Amino acid sequence: MPPTPPDLSHDEAQMALDAVEHRHQQVLAEIDVPGWYWWFLAAGWVAVGAGAQFGGVWAVILSPILFGALHAALAQRALSGRYRTGNLSVRRDVAGHQVLFAAIAFVIALCVVTLGVALVAEADGARHAGMFASVVVALLVLAGGPRLMAALRRHRARAGAA
Amino acid sequence: MTEPRFDELIHPSTRLSIVALLASTDWIEFGYVRDQLGLSDSALSKQFSTLEEAGYLTIERRVSDRRRRVQVRLTPEGRAAFDGHVAALRAVVAMAESETTTL
Repeated sequence: MPPTPPDLSHDEAQMALDAVEHRHQQVLAEIDVPGWYWWFLAAGWVAVGAGAQFGGVWAVILSPILFGALHAALAQRALSGRYRTGNLSVRRDVAGHQVLFAAIAFVIALCVVTLGVALVAEADGARHAGMFASVVVALLVLAGGPRLMAALRRHRARAGAA
Repeated sequence: MTEPRFDELIHPSTRLSIVALLASTDWIEFGYVRDQLGLSDSALSKQFSTLEEAGYLTIERRVSDRRRRVQVRLTPEGRAAFDGHVAALRAVVAMAESETTTL
């Protein structure tokens, strides 16, 4: 088999390379977390909020720890970004760590927002400020999580096109 | 750096698309490739068989949740052939572009 065929034109080779790049981009578009992850995160947030609001001291301490442990166990695979659907597994070196880092930053931001909303609600005299804040943030998770991943996909597509 | 090596088995557009999809993944479901390429089951099976006979991919059939699942993955030989082929294509493009520049 020759290293390069003598009869292959520049245009034919370029077309073949474009086809390869197009298929690579199709796989890049699959890098995302599964849809269930956002529902899991939102439900967990509300559960922790309810625990903090209505539970005793132990519930306030234990509910975030339990949720954190459950999250670490269940979400590790999801946050790799390699298994959006059961249709394919994106290679680790192709998927990178963008999804994981973005999700961690998102969760940290959610903690700050929860605290902020709870403090403002309490200062405003709300009876269940903690619960209110966790529901607000859960809605933010459902609306913002998929949008964050879509923004990452657009960023990857632009980086690939450049 | 991968050594350029044109691969006539991979080069036809359908097979190139299949191998390019597989190259970015650990495995892919048969149905996903079929839908992305717009091929019939039989046409895709034929292409897979050709690549499997060459030792470029493996096909794993299993039953999960009462559904038959067919997972396809590139072998190390298939990945090396694909990398060599892409390097050969790039070499052709680079050569043509350098000839244009010198003219």
